[in-house]
Amino acid sequence: MHWSLSGHARRLLVLALSGVAAAVLTRRAEFAGLAAPALLLLATWQSDRNPQVAVRVHLATASLVEGVSEALEIEIHGHELFTARLLVEPADTVLAGAAVDVPGGHPTRTAVLRVVPTRWGRYSLGVLVITLTDRYRLTEGVAVVELPFASTYPHAAALQSSVVLSRLPSRLGEHPARAAGDGIEFAGVREFVPGDRQRRINWPATTRRGSLHLSTFSAERTQNVVVIADETSDVGDPGSSSLDLVLRGASGAITRYLAARDRVGLIIFAGRLSWIAPGQGRRHWYRLLDLMMSTPGGWDRVPGLTRLPRAALPPGSLILVFSPLLDARLVEALRDLRERGFSVLVVDVLNAEPAHDGSRLSRLTARMWHLEQQAVRFSLTQIGVPVVHWDGLTSLDTPLAPYTRRVLVAHR
Amino acid sequence: MTAAGAWRALRRRSQSTGRSPAAAGIAAAGALATGVILWSAFPLATGRAGTRLSLAAAIVAAVMSIAQLAAAAIGSRDSASFAVLDQVAQWLTGLVKILPWPELLIVAVLVLEALHGSRPWHTALLGVALTGYVLAVHLTETRAGASVLRAQLPLLSAGLALTALSVGAAALPHFMAGSADAAIRIVVLIVAVLAVGLAVPVWLSRPARNAAASDRRAH
Repeated sequence: MHWSLSGHARRLLVLALSGVAAAVLTRRAEFAGLAAPALLLLATWQSDRNPQVAVRVHLATASLVEGVSEALEIEIHGHELFTARLLVEPADTVLAGAAVDVPGGHPTRTAVLRVVPTRWGRYSLGVLVITLTDRYRLTEGVAVVELPFASTYPHAAALQSSVVLSRLPSRLGEHPARAAGDGIEFAGVREFVPGDRQRRINWPATTRRGSLHLSTFSAERTQNVVVIADETSDVGDPGSSSLDLVLRGASGAITRYLAARDRVGLIIFAGRLSWIAPGQGRRHWYRLLDLMMSTPGGWDRVPGLTRLPRAALPPGSLILVFSPLLDARLVEALRDLRERGFSVLVVDVLNAEPAHDGSRLSRLTARMWHLEQQAVRFSLTQIGVPVVHWDGLTSLDTPLAPYTRRVLVAHR
Repeated sequence: MTAAGAWRALRRRSQSTGRSPAAAGIAAAGALATGVILWSAFPLATGRAGTRLSLAAAIVAAVMSIAQLAAAAIGSRDSASFAVLDQVAQWLTGLVKILPWPELLIVAVLVLEALHGSRPWHTALLGVALTGYVLAVHLTETRAGASVLRAQLPLLSAGLALTALSVGAAALPHFMAGSADAAIRIVVLIVAVLAVGLAVPVWLSRPARNAAASDRRAH
């Protein structure tokens, strides 16, 4: 800890010395009186100041979320005779709240500072500056503590509805399926046959028809959802680039489907493929988000990425793709998925275009680029892969609305 | 939530803690700085040579000290930009921060006062205002409330009593010998006793840090 006179003490010292000097030089007693308050305050200065201060920094949650304020608990020990001022000097991608004063008089005290990470990724939150000040605010001890690295997950895009396939695997879940079963969604009325449960008898229908009828219900099934996050390109303004939108959209979809008790898997399409097979639960959510954070972006063009692994793609899965569709390998992989019979839905997150000047050649190349992009999207639509555009500003419900209001028919 | 939204939320949270806003402290320090400069400089005509130079120095120091407080309150982040305007802004901010402007203001004001003739009560009031300015600057730069000065209150009271004492001592030769002189001497004696009575207990009650540290080690 670095100890020094505080700024307050320096100013008092200047006032006292200047007053005394003026009194001596001008032989005027009132200048000595002018210096008296400052001199008396300085008389309380003490030279012994070596407390053993221990600091423990603890994040309230294991992981942070982009744009969400989190508490940083700081336990400080051994500063009984000093007031401690705690201030986070944040890293470039972090915002920090106001400094907190921790009064002395107790061996251990805990303070809470707020930090808001503004960017996803894994980075240090900054440094913690601890300033100890004595009772008369004349001496200051400053220590700087490096704050720990923390993983910041991307802010999950809002998604309230979900796309549900017409054909669901026979696994217990929460989506009403076409097949009859023991769910709570009313499906129809049919004649009673021996062996049916009596409690399901539909008495109004029985009275009208004169024979026993009973209500039937839909089976409730889960669905397998595989989210493909295309991290091969990152274009657009920082903070709302295509990679930002891919991660936020994928995070929103993962969160939504896991909350609906679906089995969700993730494929990161980057310089290499990384995947986690579908699973359920909170722990699985952390696994998926950690995979998303740990996979490096892939701008190198590795061949052989056009065929996605079977292990990551259970039959009958819904494939949600978040991509700017700038990588031909991904487009090829989507075509392959469609040929293998998967139901694929692409969320296009491209919101930028190449810069061009006003020259004729530039306009021509820009037009060719636009036509090429349109052709890619058209070709996907033609083979039964819907492509919706998401600008990152609205919730994901808006672009997905045509597919969330009714079941998505799974074609073979 | 966008970064701007998060920042606004943090600002609201920090404001809801009830801290005195920095703007009030800066305004108080500015008012006191203006007051001490006016009080020590005027009347300009009675000042000796160098009064105008000291006045200019005091004004510059006052402006820069307020700018320093404002810069500290706003807070700035190092910019990686190489634009000329950004570089100039950084250079100016560095200039504002690097020099001890409040200290320079104190010296300039005292020089201004010394360049005028003897006026004891005037100087004593200047001392009170300068002490107030020092405290206001401290409270503003640490963003602390006035309650942190509670421990210093007896010492400040004693110091002000000593200031009054010095005014009395300076004014004493102007009085004629007689009953008034004796009365003033008695008042001065009482003030001195009061000042010592206030200051000594504070000085004696300073926390015994070595003892506390050894207690802590024993535990």
